[in-house]
Amino acid sequence: MVRHPDVKGLSARAEGFVRGVSARFGSGLHSEGVAARLGVWLGVSFTVAFATGLVSHFMQHPPGWLLWPSRPVNLYRVTQGLHVIGGLAAIPLLLAKLWTVYPKLFQWPPFRSAAHAVERALVLVLVGGSLFQLVTGLLNISYAYLWPFSFTTAHYWTAYLVYGALVIHVANEWAKVRAALWTRERVEPDAAARRRFLGTVAAASGLTVLVTVGETYAPLAPLAVLAPRDPRTGPQGIPVNKSALAAGVTGIILDPGYRLTVTGAVRAELSLAYADLVRLPQHTVRLPISCVEGWSADAEWTGIRLRDLLALVGAAPDATVEVESLERGGAYRTSEVRPPHWSDPLTLLALRLNGSPLAPDHGFPLRLIAPDRPGVLQTKWVTKVVVS
Amino acid sequence: MNEPAEPAEPAEPAVVRETAVPSRRGWWRLAAYGAGGVLVAVGLTGLLVDARRTDPLGWALWFGGLVAAHDGVVLPLALAAGALAGAVREPYRFWVRAALGVAAVLSLVALPMVLGIGRRADDPSLLPRDYGRGLLLVLAVIAVAAATAVLTVRLRRRRRGPSSPAASEE
Repeated sequence: MVRHPDVKGLSARAEGFVRGVSARFGSGLHSEGVAARLGVWLGVSFTVAFATGLVSHFMQHPPGWLLWPSRPVNLYRVTQGLHVIGGLAAIPLLLAKLWTVYPKLFQWPPFRSAAHAVERALVLVLVGGSLFQLVTGLLNISYAYLWPFSFTTAHYWTAYLVYGALVIHVANEWAKVRAALWTRERVEPDAAARRRFLGTVAAASGLTVLVTVGETYAPLAPLAVLAPRDPRTGPQGIPVNKSALAAGVTGIILDPGYRLTVTGAVRAELSLAYADLVRLPQHTVRLPISCVEGWSADAEWTGIRLRDLLALVGAAPDATVEVESLERGGAYRTSEVRPPHWSDPLTLLALRLNGSPLAPDHGFPLRLIAPDRPGVLQTKWVTKVVVS
Repeated sequence: MNEPAEPAEPAEPAVVRETAVPSRRGWWRLAAYGAGGVLVAVGLTGLLVDARRTDPLGWALWFGGLVAAHDGVVLPLALAAGALAGAVREPYRFWVRAALGVAAVLSLVALPMVLGIGRRADDPSLLPRDYGRGLLLVLAVIAVAAATAVLTVRLRRRRRGPSSPAASEE
């Protein structure tokens, strides 16, 4: 190794420091056997998070050719519940994994070759990206938006970065994982300690799930003491994401001149007052509100079938429908409803929730509710339906 | 790959054998490098192209800040706590460390909710619980579980009697 005279002393001191630190890790748990097992758990967990995250992204931003099914009713509820609760469960796994491999941070020389430098850079991407995804994800479901970026956009692109670095990392470490997991003839003096350590990590993950999963699985709601939502708490017993006040609609929703207009590619436009809506055939369905933040709550909705309304105006069977809110702005002022969803008899423009007229925060006078659909697309305070 | 933690030198030959044989595994690895590289490139491109919404500087500060906070503060603190717990004698030491570790992780998860940063007056269904109380409850459960484990170990040792001092290592 070539060393310039002026950096020699510094380099020697750095080497001494790094070797000194790395010699201090006494625990036998900083081992490949532990790292390999935690790595497999994290690999599975990040794969589930990436796949369910992509489902959520492309449900909200579907390319033109992609028609999501409206059934099973609880599909999005399950994928997004897995994404968020699984993500929370991954926090103990990631922290334990980083603890296990921490001694590797102190290597001398820091880079043995160009390939080794690239490998370590990708590990940095993987570590930093994983911390970024889990920490911003946790803060986001806690509504603590402490960053200058758009969470959804940053979380989305960072996911590709992390998963790519993970795939490369797995390719690099696969031989070690195989050796650690499938080679039985090795003498393993630390097997009992390893099992206890991994058991503790699993317990931390399990406990995290136990005290949060009740925000989407109501029977466990009483245990969900650390969940940011309670599926039983909110106006009419259902949580709210955006209140009427936050949406700036408290005044206009009570306007007696309210009208629902159905327009666009229709035989004849329709303009209905609240009293007209109430007189149309009403249907009652049981559907969940499934939020992108992972919580969900079952409710009973009563209102007009969207397909009945579209039949009244003679919309084409392959029409796409845009539902618009009284909200003046906001990313979710409108939402698109494609044929599989609007032709589903469960899809309603609802007037009532759990037996009484919608509370202002739930979208009075009228809101969209459809099966297998992210909550942010269940447009509230609906005033216009545009057929195209 | 290829930095076996402890015996750095002796493991080298295994690595050489691994890469020298153009096996099917070698092709799998190349395919994984390709796929992973594409995903990394897609992510980086997205972060840069969507700069108006991703705020690359803010993103980089969070990314770097989290690595620094974890590697420079959180993990050293965890190591220090583990070392302090080393004063407890086995077989109780494991349970003390396990309880401290689980309690620390659950506290981290609960922290943003306990601080209530996201509370909004117009939406009481957001963060509807008393999370300080919730966390204390969880910590109490962890403490009780660890205490039960320690007592069980102790009773078992006493039952075995003083004849087996080696029983300390399970």
